[in-house]
Amino acid sequence: MRSYAKHIARRFAQFLLVVFIGINLTYVITHMTPIDPVEQSIAAVTSFGNTSPEAIAMMRQSLRELYGLTGGPFEQYINFWRRIAIADFGPSLSAFPTPVSALIARALPWTIGLLVAATLITWTLGNLLGGLAGYYHDKRSLNVLAVIAIGLHPVPYYIVAFVLLVMFGYVWPLLPIAGGYGMNMEQGFNVPFVLSVLKHSILPALSLMLIGLGGWFLGMRSLVSNVVSEDYVVYAELAGVDRRRILGSYVMRNALVPQVTGLALSLGAIFNGAIITEQVFGYPGIGSLLVSAVYAGDYGLVLGVTTVSIVGVSAAVLIIDLAYPLLDPRVRVA
Amino acid sequence: MIRRVPWVLSTLLAVLALALAVPSREPMAQGALANLPRNETLILENPEGTIKNAGWFNIWAINAGSQSNGLQQAALDTLWYIDPNRGLDGVWQNSLAAEKPVYNADFTQMTVKLRRGIHWSDGVEFTAADVVHTVATQVKHKNMRWSAALSLTVDAMETPDPYTVVFKLKKPNSRFHALFTVRWNAIWIMPKHVFEKVEDPLKFDFNKPVSLGAYVLHNYDPDGRWYIWRLREDWQRTTIGQIGKPGPKYLAYIDPGPPDKRVIAQMNHELDVIHDVAPEGMFTLAKQSKSSVAWFKGFPYAHPDPTLPALIFNTQNELFKSRDVRWALALLIDIKAVSMASYRGAATISAIGIPPTGTHPDFYHGPLQDWLSAFELDTGKRKIKPYDATIGRQIADLLRPSLGNQIPTDPKTIAASFGMGWWKTNPEAATELLEKAGFKKAGSAWQTADGKPFTVRVVVEGESRPVMTRAGSMIAEQWRRFGIDAKVDVAQGTLVTRRSAGDFDTIISWSVETWGGHQDLSYFLDSWHSQFIAQPGSPQPPRNWQRWPNPELDKIIEDIRKVGFDDSKSLELGREYVKLAVREMPTIPLMSYNVFTVMDTTYWTGYPTAEDPYTDPVPNWGNSRAMFVRLKPKS
Repeated sequence: MRSYAKHIARRFAQFLLVVFIGINLTYVITHMTPIDPVEQSIAAVTSFGNTSPEAIAMMRQSLRELYGLTGGPFEQYINFWRRIAIADFGPSLSAFPTPVSALIARALPWTIGLLVAATLITWTLGNLLGGLAGYYHDKRSLNVLAVIAIGLHPVPYYIVAFVLLVMFGYVWPLLPIAGGYGMNMEQGFNVPFVLSVLKHSILPALSLMLIGLGGWFLGMRSLVSNVVSEDYVVYAELAGVDRRRILGSYVMRNALVPQVTGLALSLGAIFNGAIITEQVFGYPGIGSLLVSAVYAGDYGLVLGVTTVSIVGVSAAVLIIDLAYPLLDPRVRVA
Repeated sequence: MIRRVPWVLSTLLAVLALALAVPSREPMAQGALANLPRNETLILENPEGTIKNAGWFNIWAINAGSQSNGLQQAALDTLWYIDPNRGLDGVWQNSLAAEKPVYNADFTQMTVKLRRGIHWSDGVEFTAADVVHTVATQVKHKNMRWSAALSLTVDAMETPDPYTVVFKLKKPNSRFHALFTVRWNAIWIMPKHVFEKVEDPLKFDFNKPVSLGAYVLHNYDPDGRWYIWRLREDWQRTTIGQIGKPGPKYLAYIDPGPPDKRVIAQMNHELDVIHDVAPEGMFTLAKQSKSSVAWFKGFPYAHPDPTLPALIFNTQNELFKSRDVRWALALLIDIKAVSMASYRGAATISAIGIPPTGTHPDFYHGPLQDWLSAFELDTGKRKIKPYDATIGRQIADLLRPSLGNQIPTDPKTIAASFGMGWWKTNPEAATELLEKAGFKKAGSAWQTADGKPFTVRVVVEGESRPVMTRAGSMIAEQWRRFGIDAKVDVAQGTLVTRRSAGDFDTIISWSVETWGGHQDLSYFLDSWHSQFIAQPGSPQPPRNWQRWPNPELDKIIEDIRKVGFDDSKSLELGREYVKLAVREMPTIPLMSYNVFTVMDTTYWTGYPTAEDPYTDPVPNWGNSRAMFVRLKPKS
């Protein structure tokens, strides 16, 4: 137990170090961007308007003060960490004066909702079918499934997404092709809204599942193929134990451990968002928010989104590290 | 566990089927609108996309929320509008002002008489106090959108009565009214009775907005994809309502997603007005969607905006200080190939520094044809006449074999659709001009006067503006074929910063934007005065990206400042600018910014077109409000 406590302390210190380095790297990279948020704002204001050059010069100075871009680099860096310590990323420069945290808080539930559901369903189905295919390798239906999974897995994601979009949006216009829910609906826990959200999530979720399923399926199939040749499985079969019990209790249970690691990492990566999915399907989420922030040179928002992502992935790794000895007694913590 | 597999799969399929089959209140599969009658709703694209801080309607704060989500088109108003095309009743529209601005003799005072009987959507009457408060608030709070422009110009204001405002200006300004005149946007008037109670107007979201336009906010997506506006019951008490009753009861401004989805949405009749698509999207709609119409009945379809994409030289770069070098590069361009590469032929070309749109062809392009044809360029060895008045027709002829009847045959329509003339490609003259500038050809490659390779970077925006990127790539290719080391440099999101900093040799962009419907050029030309040119490396104020100083131009600009907006002298001076820019070639004008706005006639008719050009159909323009009163539901 004492060694486990040490293990926790060590891993937690690593977690803090990774987060600190990650956020610092992001800070440096975002501040090296050649995009100047003040010029972006001025362009937005003047590209259509009639503003005199003198007024632009005055506006440029005002915006630097307003956006907190005055002061030396060290002063800005210290201010940044002061704010991070209280989880305040400051105002978004491209949606001034709305706080970055408010924008993230609005986008994150959409991303989490879509990706958690898609990841869990894909993981469950992929492992289940992969396990069956690995164990019952002579079943024709499962072999067909394997061929489909192998065929779909390498197809670039955006192609699958566009095919779905055209099929269900134009050829057979059954499903919404943009947005998180229908127009002119009130957000809340009411039946029309929930159904609309479900309906709008089908295509993006399906695209993620079609691509993700193959990976889990193939991974599990190959893990199970290895486990079935283990002595204890052969012994169980010779002893006449029911095959379904062998598969469920002896084979899949053992093969599942690395897949659980993969699941935890995938769940952690959810905070990265699904940029292509959100862009292709016009789905609200943190990926689209990040893209628009990068284009606008909105340091604060980029830092906010990436910090959430760094913490998410690092926390997932931490949880796996802490849970592994509990899941698999063969893993020693000493 | 295995036994449960079919059960799990069946449940998942059942959930999927339920979500698909349960009758939702959305009328169409793609979930366009719930609870709104489709035949009373006009659905328009908001090209700003998804709005991050959707609940922000305070347009007077800088860069805070959306502008073209219907806010400036349907809910706000200001003193005057100039239509970029022909207008409902002429290009000039007195909106909140009852008449045109009246200046004193030295342009230090402007008097505005306001329209009576106009009301805010909460019932409060619009008066001079609102105008004064709009100005005073922005002068007091220096970080608001028009703070700088107003604090630099307005000295004092007087309201002799509730319907008159007298602006006293800090220095003579014959174009002060332009700040309150809509060309896309302008300084919108804020409701005094709302903003006077606000402590910090920079932090006030103005949600729910009190409207001065004919529509009020009905509903919006907190995630920023759609905004719905409803016709006011007292629409007659608005300026647009005084012209007529707007047709649509509801306006929905939406983010329909990337171009392919816009095309799909219009084919499914779920998007009435597409702001812009790539030429290929336009051609698809023209072929496959019988109900879709565009500005021109046939090719080139697009609406030419009063904006002039050009190849802009950085004239602070030593290489491009020479007029001969600039002209040589212009004579190496085959504009027909550029038109084909960029707009697939659907471009309206312009040889002069004025967009060929609105009333400009009548004021500038047409009257200057003879001068252009007679214009001579000295190559150092001979004099040539570089202008070819038939290039517009040549483009039409090039397209006719593949597009047949879609290509007009009437010379007037060809000129309006494809432009008039341009510069003949002339590599021999380009060679002579480069040699005149001291350049030499070593083998197949050109060298500068000091023996270095003649290298030119052509900065383009990239995939976010594919048409202009293709134009830049074609020009670079043509220069390369001549032996110049021309490279395309894709700027992507850094374009704005690089253009401002002068970090380019040449750039495909625009430094000319005009009213479209009015002869006056000060809208862009005033900023071309050498007094505003930044030092190399420092940010350049818009729009003189070429950083071109010229005493003759300064004189023209100063003379324009001294004459009234409608004065015929401003037209003469405008033509002087055109001639000077042709002689000096500080930018190579290419074509108007053609916008493929596509309108679906399934539910609405009466859209503006080249045959009935009462306004600009491009839906993010404040001026597009004129469309609302002309649209009628399709019976």
